[in-house]
Amino acid sequence: MLAAALFCIGMLGVLVRRNALVVFMCIELMLNAANLTFLAFARDRGDMTGHISAFFIIAVAAAEAAVGLAIVIAVFRSRGTVNIEEIQTMKH
Amino acid sequence: MTIPEFTMADFWPVIPAGILTAAAIVLMISEVFLGAAASRTYQSLLSVLACVLAGAVALMNMTDTPRAVLQGYAVMDPFSSFLTLVVCVGTGLAALLAAGFLQHRNAERGEFYALMLFAAAGMTLLGLSNEFITLFVNLEVLSVATYALTAWLRRGSRPSEGAFKYFILGAFAAALMLYGAALLYGATGTTHLTDMAAKLRAALAETDASGGHPKQMLIYAGFLLVGAGFAFKVAAVPFHMWTPDVYEGAPTPVTALMSAGVKAAAFVALVRVFMALGPAVDPQLPFIAFSVLALLTMVVGNLLALPQRNVKRMLAYSSIAHAGYLLLGVAALFAVGKDAKVGVLSSTPLVGISGSMQSDVYQGILFYLLGYTVTAIGAFGTIVALERREDETKGNAWDLDRFAGLGSRKPGWALAMTVFMLSLGGVPPTVGFIGKVLLFRAAVDAGLLGLSIVGMLASAAGVYYYLRVVVYMYMRPAPEGALVPERRWTTELALVATAAGTVLFGVLPGPITALLQRTDMLFHR
Repeated sequence: MLAAALFCIGMLGVLVRRNALVVFMCIELMLNAANLTFLAFARDRGDMTGHISAFFIIAVAAAEAAVGLAIVIAVFRSRGTVNIEEIQTMKH
Repeated sequence: MTIPEFTMADFWPVIPAGILTAAAIVLMISEVFLGAAASRTYQSLLSVLACVLAGAVALMNMTDTPRAVLQGYAVMDPFSSFLTLVVCVGTGLAALLAAGFLQHRNAERGEFYALMLFAAAGMTLLGLSNEFITLFVNLEVLSVATYALTAWLRRGSRPSEGAFKYFILGAFAAALMLYGAALLYGATGTTHLTDMAAKLRAALAETDASGGHPKQMLIYAGFLLVGAGFAFKVAAVPFHMWTPDVYEGAPTPVTALMSAGVKAAAFVALVRVFMALGPAVDPQLPFIAFSVLALLTMVVGNLLALPQRNVKRMLAYSSIAHAGYLLLGVAALFAVGKDAKVGVLSSTPLVGISGSMQSDVYQGILFYLLGYTVTAIGAFGTIVALERREDETKGNAWDLDRFAGLGSRKPGWALAMTVFMLSLGGVPPTVGFIGKVLLFRAAVDAGLLGLSIVGMLASAAGVYYYLRVVVYMYMRPAPEGALVPERRWTTELALVATAAGTVLFGVLPGPITALLQRTDMLFHR
């Protein structure tokens, strides 16, 4: 339940917030919600798979965070803002 | 604790990925010893060599018997082996294109090719993953590598903007899919696709004290999220918003790799997940979902491409449209499944479904993937040959006017581009035509008459914007003071190879179709 709430907060955040870093945090929130779900079900069933999955997800999330932050920095350098509404040079 | 025993038979399917990764590591290490001014063309050639080797192993794996390997975490079947082959062809050609492109921009570094090869390794492994966590990790391997590749050029605002959009939406899609997988794990207690399929039916039928189905919600929500995640990755309408911006912003060789390899790998994984799990729940549901997605994607993709004057963006929309045709094939797979019923938009009743019909659909999908890979990389290759660094920040580097008079300035390039445009439009004698014939024939055989007609009409509309490029090349005079683009042998080699492949497979599809003519394309337990 908690995990579902966390996931919904994350998803709403991605869709609503305008600051690139907040959006980025919300995505991390979604990944951690999935983590929590895996762990909760794993404990409920007494199964190891969920526990191991969580480790893989943490590792992948870390890699993603590294590349993601680098991209946010590149965006900031090229235009001096991380507001999503201002990142709109390409039109149809 | 017991250590599982593996034999060589377990490792054959992952050898192509191993070769690609090893070459990538060599390239990264080589960068330590190279000065800034050293020639780096051989790095591109090393990548091509790795792709050729990996592709040869994949070709060998095609004829092997399908089986589950590495304790069921992966499967080896002709479906995944052929994907590996397609990915290797695509990556090799994209690496060739990248050499000239990067030299022109003083941005050629070993890491670029290494990232390309890592992405390719992720794609090949994604095709054979048979377990959700493996699938997720491989999806991220390929995605993270492509995010970094998209942001490779630091000059101007477009690359970083494209990379940012790709990253946010890609990570969002991955998180959706992962949460869906977590829910499915909660319902069944396993992440293995084959075990999950067996347990899903029981979990659906489970009742609690008050007579409700407690796990039904969990399972349907899980399917919805996994499906939405995949739809983002293959850029199906209405999850396509990121595609044009990302394709325009990324360096052109990377766009070629994305439109061909990433999409093909995502399709193969999608087919594997839904063919394993879909029938266990209800074959009707995925069929309806994919039919609707296919319909929207084909129509919207083609319509949005019509007014495009920016050729690179036009090709991005065209790649959405092509994803729609492939989704039509996926929908057909469910229509010919074991206990399928005829559903929306189909008028022909099904009589006597045979196993061979399903293999026809697989053949159609795979041939189309190969055809699209070769053609799309060729088309993006022509753009690589034509575009100039100076125009990129202004954003008119890919305008239709750049193609004006190409027929007299560069007859060879114009001829190659004509071949690619005809192939994308599905005009004989090209590989795109044969691919469409196989795919639509299989869909019609499966009873999807209505959808197939919509698809053919949509692709007929597509011929308009493909031929417009040809018209510009041959019937408009070159603008005053048009610069003659410089020639680079690596780019021209890739163009010749793709153009020759497009025509050759279009005239003689025999060897490929014979390779794909198998009933055991997808491994089932």
